[in-house]
Formats: sequence, C-alpha cells, structure tokens
Amino acid sequence: MTISRAFFRWLLVIVVAAFLVSMAFTWSHQTNMSKNNAEMLLRTNVGDVRQDVIDASDENLLALCREIARELDGGAAADRAGLLRMMDAYDVAEINVVDENGIIVSTSFPKFLNYDMGSGEQSAEFLCLLDGSAEEYVQSYQPTSFEPSLSRKYAGVTLKNGGFVEVGYDGARFRRDIDRHVINAAKNRHVGRSGCVIIANEDWNIVSDLYGNEGKNLSATGIWIDRASMPENEVFHAQVYDQPSSCCYIYSEGYYIVAVLPENEIILQRDASIRTMGAVEILLFLLLFSVIVVLVRKLVIENLEKVNRSLSQITGGNLDEEVDVRSNVEFSELSDDINSMVSALKQYIRAAESRIDEELALAKNIQMSALPSVFPPYPDRDDFAVFAAMDTAREVGGDFYDFYLLDENKLAFLIADVSGKGIPAAMFMMTSKTVLRDYAERGDAPADIFINANDKLCDGNDTEMFLTAWMGFLETDTGLVRFINAGHNRPVLIRDGKASFVDQKVNMILAMTEDVPYTEQRVQLAPGDILYLYTDGVTEASKADESRFGNDRLLQLLSDDFGTGETACRKICESVRQSIDFFTEGEPQFDDITQLCLYYAGDRSQEKLSGTDAEKAASLTEHLRIRAEEDNLYPLLGMIGRMLAEAGCEEKAKKQIEMAVEEIFVNIADYAYPEGGGDADILAEIRAETKTAEITITDAGEAYNPLAKPDPDLNMELEHRQYGGFGIFMVKEAMDAVDYKRENGKNVLTLRKSWK
Amino acid sequence: MEIVKTAEGTGLTIALEGRLDSISSRDLEKELRASVPGLTELVFEFEKLSYITSAGLRVVSLAKKLMNKQGHMVIRHVQPDVMEVFDATGLSAFLDIE
Repeated sequence: MTISRAFFRWLLVIVVAAFLVSMAFTWSHQTNMSKNNAEMLLRTNVGDVRQDVIDASDENLLALCREIARELDGGAAADRAGLLRMMDAYDVAEINVVDENGIIVSTSFPKFLNYDMGSGEQSAEFLCLLDGSAEEYVQSYQPTSFEPSLSRKYAGVTLKNGGFVEVGYDGARFRRDIDRHVINAAKNRHVGRSGCVIIANEDWNIVSDLYGNEGKNLSATGIWIDRASMPENEVFHAQVYDQPSSCCYIYSEGYYIVAVLPENEIILQRDASIRTMGAVEILLFLLLFSVIVVLVRKLVIENLEKVNRSLSQITGGNLDEEVDVRSNVEFSELSDDINSMVSALKQYIRAAESRIDEELALAKNIQMSALPSVFPPYPDRDDFAVFAAMDTAREVGGDFYDFYLLDENKLAFLIADVSGKGIPAAMFMMTSKTVLRDYAERGDAPADIFINANDKLCDGNDTEMFLTAWMGFLETDTGLVRFINAGHNRPVLIRDGKASFVDQKVNMILAMTEDVPYTEQRVQLAPGDILYLYTDGVTEASKADESRFGNDRLLQLLSDDFGTGETACRKICESVRQSIDFFTEGEPQFDDITQLCLYYAGDRSQEKLSGTDAEKAASLTEHLRIRAEEDNLYPLLGMIGRMLAEAGCEEKAKKQIEMAVEEIFVNIADYAYPEGGGDADILAEIRAETKTAEITITDAGEAYNPLAKPDPDLNMELEHRQYGGFGIFMVKEAMDAVDYKRENGKNVLTLRKSWK
Repeated sequence: MEIVKTAEGTGLTIALEGRLDSISSRDLEKELRASVPGLTELVFEFEKLSYITSAGLRVVSLAKKLMNKQGHMVIRHVQPDVMEVFDATGLSAFLDIE
C-alpha cells in the first residue's frame, strides 16, 4: 500500500471518529438543551396562567370589597345584621370591620369578634392598610390564621372613618366568579406546538382544557398529582391523552394548573437541531480532511514521489542522477544524504573496477605465458618454420594457438577460439589446450584426438562453453598435413604468390555435444608453401561503420610476396595486423586477433645427413619459462635430468650439466633482478645421437657477463676465499663450452657439453 | 639431502646423503652453526654424497674454518665426482680427506 493511501485511510478513520464523538456530544447536549427548554416552556406557561388566575381572582374580590367599603362609608349599618345583609347581597363568605387598632370590631362571623389581626401571620398582612402604605390589599387563596382548616381568600379596603373592611370568600364562591377568566386564560393557550395547559379545581374537576374535557375528572387525561410527593414547578412525566408527555404543575387559588408538552415534540425539536449541527459538522470535517489531504500531498507525498523517481533511476544504473528536492529542510537533507551516498557508491564501484582490471591483466599474462612465445622455436630446423602471434582485446579472451613436435617428423599445430570472454573463457581455453595436447602426445590419430577431446570437454562442461579449432599435423619429410577442422575459419594456403582457402569439410564445434564423429582431411604442402591460420578476430575486425575486414581483403593481402622461412611467417602476421589497424582506423576491437603461420621448406634431412649416417637425428627439445626463484630450481633440474636420462647421458656428465644449470639459475635468481620478480627462459636441446647437450638460459635482468670475471686463485687460503667466483669457475671447468651474449636487452648464456 | 648426526662426547659425525646444492647447503649451514660450539672433532661422512655445487663448497669451507679454531675436521669416503670438484677448485689442499 502506498504511504498516501495508508495515510489517507487513517486520516479518514480519525476524521470519522472525531465526527462521531462530536455528534455524540452534540446529541447529549441537544437532548439536555431540549429538556431544559421544555422545562422552561412548561414553567413559563404554568406561571403565566397562574398569574392570570391570580390577577382575575384578585380583581374580582377587590371589586366586591370596594362595593362593600363604599356602602359602609355611605352609612350602611356595620353591625352584624348589616354585614349579614351585605354577605347575602354580595354572596361572600365573611365580612369583618377592623378598627384603626387592628381589632375586629364587627363581623358577620361572631367568633371573629375582637380578634386581633396582628395575632396571626395571614391576618397580620392586612395591617399594611392601617399604616397608610396601602389602601387596598388582596391575599391569595390560603388557610386562615384563625382557623387553619379553613381556606379563604381575603381582600381589604380602607374605610373613610379609619380602619378597613375585610371581605373573604371561600373556594366555591371564588371559583364561580373567576372560572370564566380561568377558562379564558387556558383555553387558547398552546404550549410549544402541540402542548396545552389543563386547569382543574380543588376537586380535580377539569375547568379548562384544550380538548373540551371540562367537567371530567383530571385523572381522565392521564395526569395524577400528589402534592405531597410532587413539588410544584418541577417536571414530571405522564401519559397525557395517550401521549407520553412532560408536565409541570402549580396549585394556585385552588386550581391545579398543569402545562403539558408531548415528549415527541421535544425529541423532534432536538432531532432537528442535531440534523442541522450534523450537516454543519460534516461540511467542516470534509473541509478539514480535504485541507489535510492537499497539504500532505503537496508537502510530503509529491516530494517522496520525486525522491522515488530519482532513486529508481539510480537503482536502474544511472548513478549520475541527482536527487534535488528542496521544498523543505527535511527533504533537502534527504536529497543531500542520498547524493553523497551515491557518490560514495560510485567511488567504490570505480575502485572495484580498477581492481578487476588489474586481475584481468594478470589473467591475461598467465594466459599469454601458456602459449609458446619464443621464436624461432626450432632454430635448428630448416625444413619448416612456424610463427604465431596473438593480440588480445582489452578483455581476456579465449583464443589460443599451440604447436609442438610429436616426434622428429611430426609437427602438431593448431589455432582455436573459445566462445565468450573473460576469466571463464580463459580457463576453458587452458583446459582445451591441455586436453588436445594430452591426446596428441598420446599418439592418437587426428580424428581420435578430436573425438576424445570433445568427449572430455563435454564432460562436466557446466558453463556451456565451446570452442572452434583447426589442428594440423605436418609430416615434415613429406609435406603432408592431416588436419581436423572443428567449426573454425578455413586457413589460407599461399602457394607461388597466390592465396586461397584450403577446401575442407567443417566438423562439429568442440564441447557442444558428446559422441560426435570427426573426419580427418589432408592437404599436401609443396616446398615453399605457407599455411596461414587465424581466428575470426582477423576477418571480422570492423571499423566504426561496422564494415568488416573480410575474406577478400585477407586473400588479396596474402597474395603478396613475403619471402621464405620464418621471416616470411613473421612478415605475414605483422602485415595482416597492420592492415587490420589501418582498416579499422583505430576503432577498438573486441575480439582477440590470433594468427599462426607455417612455412614448409621441404625435407632437408637427406641433404644434411647424406654425408653422414642416414639415421635420423633424434633430439629432445624443451623450452621452459619460469620465474627466476629458487623454488623453481628443482622443477628445472628435474626437467634437465629427465631429458638427459632419456638421451642416455652418462651419470657424471649429467651431474655436471645439472650443476652448471643450477649455478647459472641460482645466480640469476639471486642477482639478475634486484627488484625481484623476473623470468628465466631455459631452452634445453639434448641430442642422443650426437651425445650433446646445449642449454641456453636467458634472463631479462641487469646486464651481467659472468665469464668476464677472472678465475679465482685456487691457492688462496681458505680464510680469504670468496665463493662468488667459484660457481662460474666450476661451470667453466665442467662444460665443454660456455658462451655469453647480451641480446635484445637480455643475458643469453649457452652451455654445451658432450658425453662419451 | 639427508643429514645424519652421530655425537660422541665432543666429537660429531655428520653423514650426508644425496645432493649438497644451493638449497640443501643452507640446511647444513644451520646444523653446523648449532653444533660446532664446544666441538673438538668433526667428521664428515661423504660416502653417499653424489653431488656438490659451489654453495656446498662454501659450507664445507665454513666448517673447516670454524673447526680450525677449536679442533679438527676430517672428510671421509669422498666419491670421485665430488673429489674432482674439490680438486678443481683447489679446496682439497686445505681439507683433511681420508
């Protein structure tokens, strides 16, 4: 999942959660508010109605009281009988005349005579009429001080002659007068949209009701009021007219005033609020979400994507890509870190590359040293000459050539090209070279050499490498060349200044598949003929426009006159190389350019040996190039000893030759290369029939002629002897001839010795 | 080359077998420098020594020089090929060869 998707998903979860929490809060808040609003609505309505009722009843009683006071002021009898008459006339329950001292001086109700108004809490309220602060006073319907079991409503109006008259009436009378007012106060009143006010009298008879239930008992509406346990002005719940409702009541002036508000209206109100709030919140949270998304995308995601694009360029191999996101400090630092990491990586890669280059160069050296490189290889042979050259491309390649005498009259020579490049190709080349030589030296027929070598190379060839090869076997006395071509380029035969490809059947490439038949073919060389072998690096050398050197150009070039012998071979290889360089115009070549040239002079042994024995000159020749180090001494002596033994050299001469080789070699190892690390070339030629050994030891070290040193004084006392000179002296003593020459920057020392 | 040492009091016989050449003479020199102190009689048994080079001659001479200071050194049963080297280098004049 992308970081943006993960982030946005979580952001969404959080925003939704925040929305839900907020909605829950809104819900509870709105529920509370609705409840409070409902309560307030109920209380206000109850209060309003109550005030109306009180106002109506106060006014009603005061009006009666004023009438009675006017009659009394007008001289009406204030005795009991007068009062009773007025009681009947005005249909009141009680009339008291109070003097300026607050004492009831006359009353319709004899028990109250002489009652001190100041003695009761309820009655004392009327004393305000005596101190001049009020002329009228009306009380609410309540128990009297004199007789608390009796509830009455009183009003008082001052009299002209001092004191005041107090008029009281009971609930029934009072209600008869004000029910009309009360009904009006409640009848058209709505609480909220669908609520109402219900008023019932002391006896629970409904006085006023929105639905016309007057006269019925209050309980018929579903309301039940217990004044003892239910405080006034507090909300209670009841099923009113089958609707669950919130209610609130006040008991006033002998009336139960009940305000009713159906609960569903409260809920509807609340839900409407919540819906509005919800809509607003959804809008707000959407806005918040969008702003965060845009900011995160702008500040983080887009920058990350930029960095990622650069990184994938880098991992794709483009190490020159630079990350350059500078929109904020963090990304700027990240860019710098990545850039410095990549540049460090580049350095490591460069270092690794140069190390690999060094190792490849080393591998190339090893490879080159495996090929015969001393020319002429057979200086005493005048019946043929061979020269070979390999110019490797920058990389180690898989080309190789080889040649060796299988016996005095049989020269094996070959050229080959291993598929691929690099170390694996070089290693496979070494194996191939060894395998072919092994079978050749075992004396197998040419076809068998290839059949066996092919099977051997296929066996365990996990790397799927293969090689093309052309191998010839020259019979030096007859000029017949038997050869096998395993998928290789056709060699060129140069005869009488005319170059042509050797016609041939091409066999299967080596190391492709086992059990392949190889067929031997032949070409007869005449004295003066030259056979030119090469790899495809020659004909496929190309220049910038990809045109190739090609066969025609090669044949034309080889039709030149190159002279005879080794010189001709060398010239051919050099001029082909030069032509390729000229043709390619310096374009670097990716293939090795390998050539081998064989000149056949014809059999000279008859002429040479005609004066002496006709017996063949059997000679052993070995060439060895080794590091001039003492560790190589025994292998060298081993080779010399073996050759001498093969040639039948007698023991004493053998020891002397070995000693001489050792002295010279150790000298080279110790002194020739002061910097260390040089080679020594040993060319040993041992001839059994002439019983001669000729060993040439060459080194490329400092010029030094050991023979120039004077012989040591043999009579010198032991104490003064220096042994440096004795080695060379012993060599000179033991050998028949020792020659030194400095040639091409090399020390060349030749030892000759014959034995009996 | 094999070096076989037989000690008898302050006398020591060293029998060499094989080739005393540039490499093996170094081993012999090491043996000599370790053994010579306190020695009065050193005998080299050369019956089986078939080959010697200048490095070998140097070590033999060194032994002789060391022994000249503290005793006596004899070389026995030298083979003809080796003897020829001693003769050719004039060394035989300075050695006791039996």
